[in-house]
This record gives sequence, structure tokens and C-alpha cells, in this order.
Amino acid sequence: MDPNAAGKTFPPYEFHVERGKIREFADAIGDPNPIYRDPAYAEQTPFGGIIAPPTLLRTFLYEPRAASEALAVKDWSYIVHGEQEFEYLAPVLAGEVLTAQDRIVSITEKESRRAGKLQIAVIETTFHNQRGERVQIARRTLVETGKRISE
Amino acid sequence: MTANRPSFDSIKAGDAPAPLVCGPLTRTQFVRYAGASHDFNPNHHDEVYARANGNKAVFGMGMLAGGYCARLLTDWLGDGSLQRLRIRFASRFWPGDVLTCMAWVAEKREVDGKGLVDCEFSSVNQEGEVVIRGDATAVLPR
Repeated sequence: MDPNAAGKTFPPYEFHVERGKIREFADAIGDPNPIYRDPAYAEQTPFGGIIAPPTLLRTFLYEPRAASEALAVKDWSYIVHGEQEFEYLAPVLAGEVLTAQDRIVSITEKESRRAGKLQIAVIETTFHNQRGERVQIARRTLVETGKRISE
Repeated sequence: MTANRPSFDSIKAGDAPAPLVCGPLTRTQFVRYAGASHDFNPNHHDEVYARANGNKAVFGMGMLAGGYCARLLTDWLGDGSLQRLRIRFASRFWPGDVLTCMAWVAEKREVDGKGLVDCEFSSVNQEGEVVIRGDATAVLPR
């Protein structure tokens, strides 16, 4: 990974949080909660509508490539996803339009006896809704190992 | 669903919900999560690729196990109660594995009059090997 990528910020991108995607995601994690699928139920909750499950927004981070390209990884089969973190500042509701912006927070090095020299990148994504409210922050930690690993 | 949501006053360190057991997991569940989550790393759905890459089979996404644990937390503490959630990926899991997701209260604290509960969680396979572990903070009503 290119250590000079640390501190870089990337162009914001917009996506729609669709009701069908929320239901599809809830089905895929086996969560039958009506807050993810039943508009009549969801309307009577304090949220007033269908909400996004806690880990949904990771879904929208695969397509934008700018931040991961800036890492200049030679071979992605040496990369593991070490950690994923979310901070929840406000609920995300079905029908909202979010704007996400990626920033490479840091790229650090560590020596590991098991996996050789490690490079650890933290990419932070900040999500705002259509009213300009900051609703969520996601941080993913990518680790480049000195040895090829199969994940 | 928040039917028996604990209150900040009643919850205490060590409290834990009934574990959530998922599986035996199938390739179809991995493929379904790939489509829903947009994680198209071929190690998770293409057996030919996964084997050529040194794996015994396709393996599940860490975020799928993370989704199971997030469900355990929201079923227990309430929809929208989470303030933060961190998932750390520990080892792979495979078709046929049964994952048991567990969570427990590490401590509770008050910040600016809000009742916060710090939890830890993990998902282990049928051998007891940790697949993911993590921590979360939730806000609970008094």
C-alpha cells in the first residue's frame, strides 16, 4: 500500500436507501424484524418508518473504488478485512438519499511474526442524509500481510 | 423488536440474552448475502476460484456473521439503541458450520444523563473457535 495515500479525501457519492434493499438485506441475515419490512408496523414506532439494519451501509461501500485504488494495492489476495466499525448518530430510514465521503485516516506498519510485515489502512466513510444531517460513520480496517493469505 | 427491552436501571454487568444459533450454513445463504450486501469477493461464492486460491470451499463473509450478531443485539437492546458497533474478524467459516452468537454486558455508565451500556459479543463455530468478536455501545431508557 502507498503510505502517501493517508489523509486523502475522495469525492462524495450519493445513493438511495431503498425499502426493497433493506428487506433483501434483512432476509439475507435472517432477521424477521418487522421494522425492516412492514411499513404499517414501522410507522407506529418512534422512527416513523422502516429503518436500516445496523450493518447495512457497508453495502454501499463496495462500488466506489477511489479510496481503495488510492491505496495502490499490488495484489488484493494479500489483503484482509480486519475490522469494521459503525457509529450511529441518527436513524437511517427507507427512502432517504445519503451522501457518503471516504477518507483514508491512516496507513501504519507493524511487524507480525506469523504474517510478516503488516500495513494497516483505516478508511472512514461519513454519511449525510438529504437534510445535511450526519447520520453515520463507518470505519473499515484493511490489513496487507507479508504473506499470501486466502481471505 | 423491543418487547422485553431491558432498562438502564435494571441491566447489569454480565447480563446476556439467549444465544442466537445460525446454521448449518449453506452456500445459498452466502450467495444470498453476496447479492444483498454487494460483497462479490469470489472466495465467497465461486467454489472453483476459492479452491484454486487454497481454500477447502467457499467461505462465509465476516460481515454475514456480523449481521447475525447485530440482530442479536437489536433483538435484546432495542431497535435503534446502538450508538456504535465494532466487528473484528478472527477466522473463516464454512458451509455446514453452525455459528452461535453471544453477547453480554461489560459495563454500564452514565454520560450527560444518558444511560449507556457497553457490550461485547462473539460468534463461535461448532468447535468453539471464534469467527468474529466485537463490542458495541447502546443507549437504554431508565
